[in-house]
Amino acid sequence: MDSTLQRAADLLAQARFPVFGGLFTDVDGATAALALAQKLGGVVDHAASEGTSRAARVMRETGSTPASFGEVRNRADTVVLIGDGPRERDADLLEKLFPAKNLPRPGDNKRELIVVGTKKGKTPAGIRTTEIGGKNPLPELVALLGAATREMPFETRDAALGKKVLSAGQRLRDSAFVVFVYDPAELEEPVMHTVLETVRYLVKTTRASTLAMSAPGNGDGVNLCSIWTCALPVRTSFAGEIPENNMWAFETERLLKSGEADALVWIDALDGAEVAPPTRAFRGVPSIVLSSKPVKAGRDDVVIEVGAAAADHDAALYLPPIAGIGVVKAKSAKSDKPTVADVLNKIGTLIDEKGAA
Amino acid sequence: MLIQLKGGRVIDPANNRDSVGDVYLKNGRVVAAPEGREPDEVHDVSGKIVMAGAIDVHSHIAGTNVTLGRQLMPELPLIAASEGQPYGPSPAVWGSYATGIRYAEMGYTTVIEPAMIPTHAIQAHKEMAAIPIIDCAGLVVLGNDDYTLNLLRKGDVKSDELKDYVAWTLAHSKALGLKVINAGGSEAFKFNARTFDLDEQVPEYGVTSRGIVEAMQQAIADLGVPHPPHVHTNNLGIAGNVDTAVATLKATGGHPIHLAHIQFYGYGKEGDKGFSSGAPALMEAINKHKKATVDVGQVMFGQTITISGDVLRQFDGRRAANPKKWVINQAEGNGTGVVPYNYKKKSFVNALQWAIGLEIFLLAEDPWRVLFSTDHPNGALFTRYPEIFHLLMDKNERSRWFDALPEASRQVSGLAGISREITLSELAIMTRAAPAKVLGLTDRGHLAPGAVADVAVYTEQKNKTKMFSAADLVFKSGKLVVRKGTVVDLSWGQCYHVDPGFDRQIEKRVRSYYETYYGADPSWFGVTETVSDRPDRFATIRCAS
Repeated sequence: MDSTLQRAADLLAQARFPVFGGLFTDVDGATAALALAQKLGGVVDHAASEGTSRAARVMRETGSTPASFGEVRNRADTVVLIGDGPRERDADLLEKLFPAKNLPRPGDNKRELIVVGTKKGKTPAGIRTTEIGGKNPLPELVALLGAATREMPFETRDAALGKKVLSAGQRLRDSAFVVFVYDPAELEEPVMHTVLETVRYLVKTTRASTLAMSAPGNGDGVNLCSIWTCALPVRTSFAGEIPENNMWAFETERLLKSGEADALVWIDALDGAEVAPPTRAFRGVPSIVLSSKPVKAGRDDVVIEVGAAAADHDAALYLPPIAGIGVVKAKSAKSDKPTVADVLNKIGTLIDEKGAA
Repeated sequence: MLIQLKGGRVIDPANNRDSVGDVYLKNGRVVAAPEGREPDEVHDVSGKIVMAGAIDVHSHIAGTNVTLGRQLMPELPLIAASEGQPYGPSPAVWGSYATGIRYAEMGYTTVIEPAMIPTHAIQAHKEMAAIPIIDCAGLVVLGNDDYTLNLLRKGDVKSDELKDYVAWTLAHSKALGLKVINAGGSEAFKFNARTFDLDEQVPEYGVTSRGIVEAMQQAIADLGVPHPPHVHTNNLGIAGNVDTAVATLKATGGHPIHLAHIQFYGYGKEGDKGFSSGAPALMEAINKHKKATVDVGQVMFGQTITISGDVLRQFDGRRAANPKKWVINQAEGNGTGVVPYNYKKKSFVNALQWAIGLEIFLLAEDPWRVLFSTDHPNGALFTRYPEIFHLLMDKNERSRWFDALPEASRQVSGLAGISREITLSELAIMTRAAPAKVLGLTDRGHLAPGAVADVAVYTEQKNKTKMFSAADLVFKSGKLVVRKGTVVDLSWGQCYHVDPGFDRQIEKRVRSYYETYYGADPSWFGVTETVSDRPDRFATIRCAS
């Protein structure tokens, strides 16, 4: 192991612009990756950061109106499910959002579900459900619902759809607490803006919020860690005088294809989730792979087997039910496999020692 | 190693010391002058001021609310810098690393995060553990959560369940104390209330804000937690709210209470504009209520961001967002409101807010009960502290600022009539001795033998902004960490918490509650020693009972 770590340290010490990608790891692993990226002037990205990056940009431009999972589950009288993403991320989502028992809710309405632009799917028994679908694309459906809610005029060739949207808009205005549920990986920024503006219209008189599905691979945990480290989400470069965030410029695959990145640290070490490496990760770019799974690596790559977070060791991860970072206990009683944090911290120390020598 | 700080003016009000002399440090503690032993290291500090390391009782430096603020406005430090506001050693001043560095450079060695959400305590602790040099602690938020309100709905709590629940929450989140934010107000917001006063009832629960605060005071007293409930009361930021603050003080009965950021409650509604200084009335009440302590929440002009668990207040405040973007986060307990704000010298209200904060400091009869804060970042970034010290200690500097304010603000402010200048000893009380005493951190805030060796040395100069911006020397637990205003050694501090006992039955009840209503296991958010990779990260502060 020592010689492997030394090879990794040598490789990274020579790198001009390394990228730390994948980042399917726990918060401690992310902390170590961020520290090393800062030390070396590299980039941090997460394999599922497409959605979180878009949401982060909308947040920076205009803000956000989130509700925690627990609040939606207990207090919302109207849940608007947008797109297929949420149910693809969590097949039991609607059962969780409509439990048999909940805390006191505002208003007298029975709970309702409105699904917008989704494939047919299971809906909770006993809950009135309105489906707004048809052939129209999702952004158009969201825009129609937004216009109807704000009592703005709109036209659509599908008269039945128009009637349904008007009725849904009325329901939203009459609700005590509307929550729009979506996956940022599925919605483009203008659609997120439409949802946000609809919420901001509703909150003038009542309560309304959004619930964004969390990114796979502890994407939200890694993102939060990045924010408290440097105030910026992932897809951030530490190469300049100040950290710089750019969702296009600092995307792993693009950096590798363009040749801007000259080394890759790829991390895939989370129980119950795995991530496909970038297409050129193991070809042409010197790579260090930290993985809890078997890896097909290039001849010159450095492969380090690590424990899987939440399986081989306790792990701090973003947990949707508490809408924050919690700790999941290890499944195995004892594992000798090092953690991602152990390995990256040791590599950092070796680089420091080499620099000092 | 024995370190001698030789020949400085030692200002240590906790021990009635203000004289030229020596301070000795050994093994991380202050020690008495040793006989017959030469020090291993001598620092000649003659002509300089020697104080204990400063302690900030109320500064939002970690946790969900702060992170939301960073997400909304990562550009804040750059805007602040462009306005001429001092900021940290790096543009990532919003980050944990820069927070510790800048605090240490100013001579601060302990900082309290006053709003740790129980379910997000792990994040808050991970963030605090990433802040170098300074010691930290968190106050955990209760009073708007369904479990508490449901207990209080039953009328008077005859069993010890509330006390056990408070104790469990403190222990589970490794908190130093309890924070109560607009008690019941944030919960009322969930039922679409837009205002909430001390004696209004929370919809569905029936309990009043007054009842919640009283119950929390009783629980904290019964548990013997050293720091009294740290209360952000109702009607923050509203004209006429000085009456609410005074009524809250009167309602405290015999129990101690700490009122947070009272500048934001120092507002009368006299005058043509319906907004005036309530500072004299507020300070009269505080001066009378000997068991009350407060921190001020001083405002300074310039760009900042307001972050608060008072989601009801922040919802109203969103209309004043500058830049025009905001976050309202609806969550268990309090939720969060994040609203950027630019305090402007030309604004009648902002100018008066600035003056009211200074009036509060200067009208305090007892500096042991009026602690320094800006409610960072709500009133101002903590990087502005030296400027505020200057204003408090130099009436000419105060006049220079005051004379530039709008005429309407100057006419209704009593600040110009106050000639008091805060002394170095009083400043040491407000920023060191008193916070330590109020928090129950008895081994700091002073320089008696046995105290933790947190020491700040400054060069005395007329320009107090310069004096306090960069300490000459700072020792953290006996280690020299700052020299000439620059960090020379990165060390890592500890985190302080209480661990009151409770009936273990509460764990079963809370587990059943979370599983039923949230589909969550409370063990997920329980803070353990392993939240940090440093084995000596945590230290327990003893409770009286």
